[in-house]
Amino acid sequence: MELLSEDDLNLKDMTPEELDRAWDLWFDLAQATNDFDPPWTHGVFLNCTLDPVPPRGDGDNS
Amino acid sequence: MRNIYFDLTEELNAEGTIAVLASGQAVVFYRLALMSKDGDWILREAPEACRRALTVLEKHGARYRPGAPLDVRWLAGGWSSHFEMSDPQARRVRCDFFSRPPRIRPDEVAALFSPEEMPEPFRVVGLEPLIRMKQTQRAKDYPVIGELARLLPPDLEIELTTDPDRILELVQAVGKDSGRSSVRAALSGVREDVVVALAREADQNQREDRARLDKYRAAAVGYLREIQAARIGDLDLPSAHERICEIAERWLPFDPDEAKG
Repeated sequence: MELLSEDDLNLKDMTPEELDRAWDLWFDLAQATNDFDPPWTHGVFLNCTLDPVPPRGDGDNS
Repeated sequence: MRNIYFDLTEELNAEGTIAVLASGQAVVFYRLALMSKDGDWILREAPEACRRALTVLEKHGARYRPGAPLDVRWLAGGWSSHFEMSDPQARRVRCDFFSRPPRIRPDEVAALFSPEEMPEPFRVVGLEPLIRMKQTQRAKDYPVIGELARLLPPDLEIELTTDPDRILELVQAVGKDSGRSSVRAALSGVREDVVVALAREADQNQREDRARLDKYRAAAVGYLREIQAARIGDLDLPSAHERICEIAERWLPFDPDEAKG
């Protein structure tokens, strides 16, 4: 039973140059979700949440 | 093979091995999947390694993201440090560092930095530790473990794979003495028993990882609020590092088990 898609597994058949180009294209496309990504994808803060940061000046109560 | 994270690995290690590429980019290295647009490294737990990493990150214009200071006092407690910058094409690059990878013994971590492990300056974590690092709370990591395990010798594959069919294929040759519950289940030859045992193993791994991360979450609540209020990400890296250390000294326990309340 293969657990990943054909496209993923075909990385093995690519030349280094093809793999570099594939990664570069994939990285370009992946930028589209930057605004929706979770704050952390690795490390020990994964289960934490961040409060929205108020615009500069709004948090100044003095 | 080249990408920004592979290049950064070489740059980090240009003056001696301090960083081993892990997680999603290691999966790219093993040519299994393009599955992470961030990079994470196991950093050698030494002040000079932190200084070198900060120097490289500053050169690339990186800023701190919410996370622990890149300082051995917190890294030794398992905390992680997080940075963000842009590559020459203005694409977002996120860099994460830690020195105590979960489920990896200290001697295994030390071996990652051994001169015999891999030619310098490019370093990537080995398959077996990578698989154990991927035994996380996230369901999506388990299919990847199955594919990574295929790259191991059969006697190791059977101990780590998440693929029931591979366990059934391998059990008679290399699994008869295994203590793993899913492998023992495979001795009966009933596939469903193996599937159920694998699901229980994955659930156990996920619950343990969730409990581990919840401990860090509980210890970091006030600290995260403080570094957000301090707008750490707006500061240049040397200023941010100084400020984040000041805040962490007041708010972030070195060891999350020391956190009160």
